[in-house]
Amino acid sequence: MTLEENPFGDLLQDYIVECLPLAEEVGHAFVELERRWRDGEPGDELLASVKGRLHTIKGNSAMMGLAPMRDVAHALEDACGFLGRAAARRGDEAAALLVSGGGLLVDLIGDASPETDGTAAKAFVEEVRRFLAAAPESSSAERDRRQTDRRGQPRIGEGDGAGNVVRVDFRRLDAMLELLGEGLIQHSGLTELYRRLQRRVGACPEMEELDQTVLSLQKTLTRLESTLMETRLLPVSTVFGRFPRLVRDVAHAEGKKVRLEVTGGETTLDKAVLDRLGEPLLHLLSNAVAHGLERPEDRAKAGKPPEGVLRLQAGAVSGRVAIRVSDDGRGLDADAIRARAESLGMDVRTADTAQLHNLVFVPGLSTAERVTTLSGRGMGLDVAASVIHGLGGTIDVESLPGRGTAFTLSLPVTLAIVRSLIVEVDRERYAVPLSHVAETVRAEPEAIRQINNQGVTQWRGDLIHVADGGAVLGTGGLSGAPRSYYVVMTAGARRRGLLVDRLIGHQDIVVKGLDPALGRPPVVSGTTILGDGRVACILDVVRILEGAGHVN
Amino acid sequence: MSTEGRAAVEPLLGFADTLPAAAPNASAPAPTLHLLTFTLDREEYGIPVTQVREVIRVNSITRVPQVPAHVRGVANLRGRILAVVEIRTRLGLTEGVVTPSSRIVVVEVRGRVLGLLVDRVSQVTKVPVDSVVPPPEEVVTAETDFLTGVARWDSRLIMLLELDKVLLLNG
Amino acid sequence: MAESFLVIDDSKLLHQMYRLIFSQGDLAGSTVHYAINGREGYALLAAHAELTLVLLDLNMPEMNGLEVLARRQQERLHLHVPIALVTTESTEDDEARGREVGAWDYLRKPFQPSDIQRLVRRAREQRRERGAA
Repeated sequence: MTLEENPFGDLLQDYIVECLPLAEEVGHAFVELERRWRDGEPGDELLASVKGRLHTIKGNSAMMGLAPMRDVAHALEDACGFLGRAAARRGDEAAALLVSGGGLLVDLIGDASPETDGTAAKAFVEEVRRFLAAAPESSSAERDRRQTDRRGQPRIGEGDGAGNVVRVDFRRLDAMLELLGEGLIQHSGLTELYRRLQRRVGACPEMEELDQTVLSLQKTLTRLESTLMETRLLPVSTVFGRFPRLVRDVAHAEGKKVRLEVTGGETTLDKAVLDRLGEPLLHLLSNAVAHGLERPEDRAKAGKPPEGVLRLQAGAVSGRVAIRVSDDGRGLDADAIRARAESLGMDVRTADTAQLHNLVFVPGLSTAERVTTLSGRGMGLDVAASVIHGLGGTIDVESLPGRGTAFTLSLPVTLAIVRSLIVEVDRERYAVPLSHVAETVRAEPEAIRQINNQGVTQWRGDLIHVADGGAVLGTGGLSGAPRSYYVVMTAGARRRGLLVDRLIGHQDIVVKGLDPALGRPPVVSGTTILGDGRVACILDVVRILEGAGHVN
Repeated sequence: MSTEGRAAVEPLLGFADTLPAAAPNASAPAPTLHLLTFTLDREEYGIPVTQVREVIRVNSITRVPQVPAHVRGVANLRGRILAVVEIRTRLGLTEGVVTPSSRIVVVEVRGRVLGLLVDRVSQVTKVPVDSVVPPPEEVVTAETDFLTGVARWDSRLIMLLELDKVLLLNG
Repeated sequence: MAESFLVIDDSKLLHQMYRLIFSQGDLAGSTVHYAINGREGYALLAAHAELTLVLLDLNMPEMNGLEVLARRQQERLHLHVPIALVTTESTEDDEARGREVGAWDYLRKPFQPSDIQRLVRRAREQRRERGAA
């Protein structure tokens, strides 16, 4: 009976929700098992612990009519049962078999559908059969009935098991979000219209009522927005889940010993952000294994344990998500970076160590050879950084020679609607995402001094640069009058003030992409439509803080 | 060059209603081209009506810092962001001044939707195919690259633009 | 008279499948209790003497199906309630062991709604016979 004829066909999503985490746990256990066997440890309890999960996966898959998953789980059960008894066979070949089976199971379940192809499953089952047959003590593998404790693990996805989960095409959520965006724009227009009407009509009960209604509408839209946003949120573990196996592959290829520790998998991010995060993160991890971590012999010489530690941490920090990729390897070589930068014609005489470190994101500056195809897939740190910037995020790097390197990403939780500060510079309006605004300050001319042709001022005890909005945006100061305010913009550890004419207010803006015809304007990350219908550019704070847009 | 006020864009010519089903009209006695014609510096240009989605008034074009040459900025087309091309400078003329008769012609070429800022728009014109001749050889300018031909019709000289080339869509 | 049933299974997915099955045909309207492990299941069994049928998963962590049956047998709890042991596969030895501790019948996965319906019918017959006796 196929999945389609199966009476439980509608429960496919629930099947995935239940079985995918189990399969991932099995996969992780197999990777761990491989390590243990290499180190000469038996790993019995690990073998025992996966049995229960495999058994459940097998039963559930059978109930759902999903033969490939059932067969792979069954074959793995047989293999584990056999290896539980035949300790002599526990080695690289057995481990590779288990790891590949675990990966296959994860892939099959993750993409479960009526169309799931059985070819890979059949091939794997055959592989296991041959492995078992080759053993002198082989017989039909006896299954161990004893169950061991299953550690409680957080499940992916919502739903209380009461059949309240529905499957929705993500594009439909996008369409709803688009409509909500239109609604927000219309609401802005309504507010504007109310103000103009009020000036003409003056105060009266109807105007009061209108004001209340418009306000209530905003509250409703805002609540609708957050509810809709939540539907798009997925835990980062959906992307992290594949990393242990991939990191293991890279470590293998590079001859390194690595332990990957993942925490914060339950942190949630918008699916749209998550979908594009996988590649850059994988690159950072591969990079750390290939270049950050030393070979076991070199680590031993440095007094470090032969196994390198790679940490992947995720956490939510006031409306943004922070993800950290760190290693305890050799750290960045600031001198090498300086030399390379100079050879490319860059002036880095006054650059301090932190600035030199952040140069690794500049194309062409990586002092290491292009990473292996397995890990690199054509992506460099510069591309990874720009992908992250494109998501409205930031990436910073810290490093201590001989101790290790840490990359910290900061990402907006959602993409589509951004709370922004609207400012006016030379009669044009711009939106600055509030997540990048530390403060707005009234500009006193005496408070801003010129040093080396750059404006600087004291802000909260620090000296920060202040740039003229007209200069950065290329509108050149039409009015000639001094600017009234400056906006302190932040991105990662950087801060800079931007002088503007007026502060218009805060607004929820719908981020619209840039038409390809506009090319890649360096200081603009997108556009939006304001309440009066005019288009405003959204400032790319990250790039501006990197110095884009400055008139030399 | 932004103006105040709401972006009350109205379609001026409802092409959805008047568009013929396919370019040449089978029932016409001789094959004709349906052109939307517009004026730049008193010269007349034409593009096939099939490429035109609508024509709107210019309400507000927001400048975008540091965009490629010939991109005037962006405008709001009923909630959609429309990139507006300064077709004048593309054809070697000076930058346009927005007047009450200026219009943005919204075109769709190769799946891309863009706006063309023009000085003035005329009605849809039908010209017989055989009134089209190749661009004159003695006039050799960069501009002739963008022409598929010239239509001499009704004492008018209409230069037929190849939008693909004008908008640099061949990549 | 409204019937009641008890499902003891550590898989939420199975719970949903049972829900589907117990919402169809003449099973619709019956009460179904759900337990997520052996301990909970045992407590629910103790609380409901009127159960028509219990569906007990064999492979569960901490307290598996056989252990639930063994404990019931030892404490002589509601021995009249038929309990079907649900397994993924079983050999004759397994079935013998199950019957030793009081399993009334076996149900092998994958099962269909009709398999449950058949079990229920037999359980009802048995109840009628017992009631008549």
